[in-house]
Amino acid sequence: MKIIVYLLITNKRFIAGVSVFLLIVFIGLIGPLLYPVDPLSFAGPMEMPPCGRYPLGTDTYGRDLLAQILVGTRTSLYIGFLTALIAISMGTIIGASAGIKGGIIDEVLMSITNVVLAIPSILLAILIASYIKVRSIEVIALLLGITGWPWYARAIRAQLMSLREREFVYLSKMAGYRDIELAFKDLLPNIATYTFMAFVLYINGGILSEAGLSIIGVGPTKGISLGLILQWASLMEAVRRGLWWWFVPPGAIITAITSSLMIVSVAMDEIFNPKLRGK
Amino acid sequence: MISRTFIRYVLTKLFFLVVTYLVSITIVFLLPRLIPGNPLAQLLTQLFQQAQTNPETIKEVYRTLMNQFNLDKPLWEQYLDFLIRAIQGDLGTSIAYYPRKVVDLIMPAIPWTLALLVPATLTAWFLGNNLGAIAGYKRNSLFERVVLTTSLVISQIPYYWLAMVLLYVFSVKLGIFPSGGGYSYGSVPSLSLTFIVDFLWHYTLPFLSIVLVSIGGWAIGMRLLVIYELGSDYMIFSESLGIKESKLFSYAFKNSLLPQVTGLALSLGGALGGQLITETVFNYPGTGFVLFRGLSTLDYPMIQGVFIIIVATLFLANFLVDLIYALIDPRIRLGYAQT
Amino acid sequence: MSSGLLNVIDVAAYYKQQVGASVKTIKAVDGVDLFLYEKEILGIVGESGSGKSTLAHVILMNIKKPLEFIRGTVRIYTGNNFLNLNSMSIEELRARVWGKEIALIPQSAMNALMPTLKIKRIILDIVKSHQDKVNEEDVIEKATKRFRELGLPEKAIDMYPFELSGGMRQRTVIAVATLLNPRILIADEPSSALDVVSQRMVLKTFYDLFRKNIIKSMIFISHDIATVRQIATDMCVMYAGKIVERGPTDDLVKRPLHPYAEGLINSIPSVEPEIRKRKLRYIPGQPPDLSNPPTGCRFHPRCPYTMDICRTKEPPALEVERKHLVSCWLYARR
Repeated sequence: MKIIVYLLITNKRFIAGVSVFLLIVFIGLIGPLLYPVDPLSFAGPMEMPPCGRYPLGTDTYGRDLLAQILVGTRTSLYIGFLTALIAISMGTIIGASAGIKGGIIDEVLMSITNVVLAIPSILLAILIASYIKVRSIEVIALLLGITGWPWYARAIRAQLMSLREREFVYLSKMAGYRDIELAFKDLLPNIATYTFMAFVLYINGGILSEAGLSIIGVGPTKGISLGLILQWASLMEAVRRGLWWWFVPPGAIITAITSSLMIVSVAMDEIFNPKLRGK
Repeated sequence: MISRTFIRYVLTKLFFLVVTYLVSITIVFLLPRLIPGNPLAQLLTQLFQQAQTNPETIKEVYRTLMNQFNLDKPLWEQYLDFLIRAIQGDLGTSIAYYPRKVVDLIMPAIPWTLALLVPATLTAWFLGNNLGAIAGYKRNSLFERVVLTTSLVISQIPYYWLAMVLLYVFSVKLGIFPSGGGYSYGSVPSLSLTFIVDFLWHYTLPFLSIVLVSIGGWAIGMRLLVIYELGSDYMIFSESLGIKESKLFSYAFKNSLLPQVTGLALSLGGALGGQLITETVFNYPGTGFVLFRGLSTLDYPMIQGVFIIIVATLFLANFLVDLIYALIDPRIRLGYAQT
Repeated sequence: MSSGLLNVIDVAAYYKQQVGASVKTIKAVDGVDLFLYEKEILGIVGESGSGKSTLAHVILMNIKKPLEFIRGTVRIYTGNNFLNLNSMSIEELRARVWGKEIALIPQSAMNALMPTLKIKRIILDIVKSHQDKVNEEDVIEKATKRFRELGLPEKAIDMYPFELSGGMRQRTVIAVATLLNPRILIADEPSSALDVVSQRMVLKTFYDLFRKNIIKSMIFISHDIATVRQIATDMCVMYAGKIVERGPTDDLVKRPLHPYAEGLINSIPSVEPEIRKRKLRYIPGQPPDLSNPPTGCRFHPRCPYTMDICRTKEPPALEVERKHLVSCWLYARR
């Protein structure tokens, strides 16, 4: 364990990625407290570029964009996290059941998984979202989680199937529980690291998908997320009218979150997978 | 030399696709009827109420929709009806653009979407694979580190946001490219040179936003594959027999390309999703734009229609790619299971 | 004597592994001397972990991280001059030595052929990497002839590796590796994963190569003394990164001098009457940890004849009989 921690800390990519991500989380969590401006109040001048009073300017309705970004970051992170939680939970349950039980259960679950996997998840999410009149943030996260679990379920199943094989070998040698325990101990670190990396990828996916849903018009109906800010900007033709302070920051933050997490994930992959270390 | 394994492989894939397609259609059918609040019924009720106070057209719409959705008939009858119509190519009538049929509205958009999707994906695939392969071969070099880090960041940029940025910089600020559409307002699509040039001029920014983001993903994957390849037994043996470095590289490249072909099939779905949204940013007249209009007016027949048609196109494309893979991997073509 | 094909002098190569904050050094090959003459088949035997495979790579100077070359000389004779392999760059080795002067058949040779290439493509690539002007039909013809010579089906050349059975694949690998008539062939556990019949055919292939002068000499690495004995003219025994005994096969098998060699040979059931006379025994203990090898003679913790000097000083190689050398203090008092 200590070796792993040491390797993580000395890996430049890991540190860089984690720092950026934590910085953004900090901004999202603490930001709105430090800058207690109501993001939805129509108080300010309309479409004002960044200046002293409004560090990120205002939108068409005179709302403070910095306030929007701060709250939006928090919301987007929340959605990403929730999506990951749901997807990983569903994926683990389904994948584990298939991997450990085997037989008919495996066949059925895998067929379902493969079918859902084949259907493009974002399209499915758009379709379902269009039918729901009121879409809270949690509902969106649930939706994204439900459409996104398949690939992880397959991976978990694969890992656990090797456990099953070993189980049979040991049972046939009549070695008893101890060996199954050992086999488990062997696999658990593998599964744990994979799950962690998958979680990170799901956060990314959740944030990006929510933004996609929002821009096309089926995002959350309440609250402010980075994707919703982009939607408002595009509805008001912010791009063509040159209101860069409106649409550049939200996308930039999304990119910062997703790329820092990606770098962390790749760094972790290199560390947990000795073949890639190439030292 | 088509072996039994090849045929079995192709048939399995075909079967799977047909089943999945049927499942998709079933989902489209069931969803509105299962979601609490039954949106279809709601919609029809809305229309009916409107019809009381509005002219004949709305009554017409209502009647047509009632006819199509048959909400008063038992569920299985509705399903059968739906399936039969779908097979015949009738996906319903649009509400927002009544009385035009959904299929007629979506079909013209498909070539535009494909014209963007296919070249963009293939370009990104080609460039990304090459960059990734070289990065994987030259481990621990500056090249590798730059390619890896850049790819990691760029591949995570949302397509549509990059689209916005590109649009702002190159169209609004620098004025080099047009600010949207598939072609200039007022011109008529034709195969003349002027039109094609005009089209390409409008096409560039959407194309770039998709390609730039996609390259990263392919590069990252290819690099990994090449690294694994270089450690394999046969690579080591070939090297120990003195085979030239450039040859070794081409071995690693070709072998890593095979899984990337499979990856192409898998990525099409995701790429399509992202592209649809990008189309809306540019007002590019593809299926994404049609979907967007359907969503903003809650034109359910349209939304459903887009979903079904896109899924069908996707599956067809997937199948084609799987077929190509089966032909180029000698292990499948000649009938040997995984070694 | 200048019919010496291969001279390996005091060669050492260690594996350096990063474990947490420190580096663990495994002294896989630690001061090995080897001589190979023309028309010799040298068998190198030892337990797993004795350093045999590493030695094979060192002879070829195909050294990749985490393996590091520490010291020593590897010299081969190329017909008109000598080449010091340890001072050549990888590109030079690739162009002039590997496949052309020396060829290595690795362990698990069954996976050694690229699954997505037809065998004739691999053959053409090897030839093209060593010659500038290549007439493809010519090469295929010669390769086909060679295959025929070695008793392999001619149509194998036009097939993919996975279309061949295990034993045939192994022999194809041997044929491909020796295509350019390398003077020295090194085979690392070539028959360990095969059934007895295939083993026989593989040995016959080697013998054919030797007899027809396609290769001049061979190094056969294995843990299976019974097999090595059938084909090797000379044998050397490796233990814990060092060579402990070397001599003509018959001498060594009938009268092993080093206690380890003695234990090894006595632990193998055999139909040979002289060996059956001795009882079947095994060597107690475990091979040493090569990151921290024992002081003095590395075998001393397991040796039944340990003396004080064995614990402190490493024994030098002593020529006890003609061409029969051993590194053991038991033979120092002469």
